[in-house]
Amino acid sequence: MKPVLEFRDIVRAFKKGAPVLNGVSFSMCPGEIVCLLGRNGAGKTTLIHIAMGMLFPHAGSVRVFGVSPTGQPVAVKKRIGYVAEEQVLPARSSIAQLIALHRYLFPDWDTALERELLDRFRLAARAKIGQLSKGEARQVALLCAVCHRPELLILDEPAGGLDPAARREFLETSIQLLNREGTAILFSSHHMNDVERLGGRVILLDDGKVRLDRDLDDLHEDYCVAFIPSGSAPDAGALERLPGCLRARPVFGDWHAVFEGTPDSVRRQLEDALGVDGIQCVRVPLEELFVELVGRERLVEAS
Amino acid sequence: MHLIVNPAGELPIYRQIMRQITEAIAGGRLKSGDKLASHRDLSEQLVIAPLTVKKAYDELEIQGLLETQRGRGTFVCARLPRPDPAGQLDQVRQAARKLLAQAYLAGIGFSDVLKTLKEADRDLTRGSAAQRQKERS
Repeated sequence: MKPVLEFRDIVRAFKKGAPVLNGVSFSMCPGEIVCLLGRNGAGKTTLIHIAMGMLFPHAGSVRVFGVSPTGQPVAVKKRIGYVAEEQVLPARSSIAQLIALHRYLFPDWDTALERELLDRFRLAARAKIGQLSKGEARQVALLCAVCHRPELLILDEPAGGLDPAARREFLETSIQLLNREGTAILFSSHHMNDVERLGGRVILLDDGKVRLDRDLDDLHEDYCVAFIPSGSAPDAGALERLPGCLRARPVFGDWHAVFEGTPDSVRRQLEDALGVDGIQCVRVPLEELFVELVGRERLVEAS
Repeated sequence: MHLIVNPAGELPIYRQIMRQITEAIAGGRLKSGDKLASHRDLSEQLVIAPLTVKKAYDELEIQGLLETQRGRGTFVCARLPRPDPAGQLDQVRQAARKLLAQAYLAGIGFSDVLKTLKEADRDLTRGSAAQRQKERS
């Protein structure tokens, strides 16, 4: 299948010599759901801006539906829906005016879907954008992003700043759209529960690169965290050189290491390699895995 | 039947769904020929991706517990895998020993383990006993 989105060796820096993205490559198929994870500043929004043609990459190439988003912006934007992290909507216009603008911009605008979403969100068309709550403003942004029935929906932290109920409603709508239209979705989020619910593929950005690119279910089943007594390894590098190790970090005198493999097999492998007992290996929820992969070292402070 | 998913759980969501459906069939709450919610309905009801539901149903189909009838939906198999008590008994026996070892190490006595087993049985078969009674009367 032809990819809807393709990044090839993307490099982008905002300060000379300190690239935020340093060789990022991946592609998305039609209908696929991809979740971008990474710490603040890992380059998720930068990558999304590059896909939207709002930023040029300094090296590498990006293709959306097979063409360049800066070379053919109109053709690309017709088929994309986008909700930005801090979406700024014109405060003084009404919802109806904003929708009228979008209807004018997108010839394929679906008025039935528009009415349905207005209904579901209980939004009054004459309400002024500036008077909406944060959750309502997001819903308007989502409505504007999906009523032209995009083939690719890009959501940059769609849940940012929303209360749990508003987040859930946003998610419900995304899932209904997914069911009905089979839209491909690229979204970034810090809410691991939302990531679990949307499922699909997880891409972790770290240190300018794709640190992990796996199916969410595989992450659950094929990875585990090993807790290793501090004396068993001289440094993190020694552990990270073991096959299957993604990362090791010291946490209060012990080592925490993320390994690919089942807990039993990893424990046996480690006991053989290090010649020690007392190693514990467990499967962990996504949030813990994220922290183990990109969290900082936690040393016992010297007194 | 009512399914519950916990996105913060250690098991992937599709496995959580598989487990609950398997338990419902084992406990008689779901019977041969019962219709399951469609991918779309269940995905919207639980607020999870439709592919996750599909994955759970597909796996259960491979295990011979569910069957999909084109255009009609997904059902509990008319012919569930033939019970093979002799073949499974050994595994159940091993699981029982493991369970008891775990309980004894934790200081839980046999009578409490038995109580837990009865509770689990009630959970698994919840509703089906009441239903049976209703059918009889």
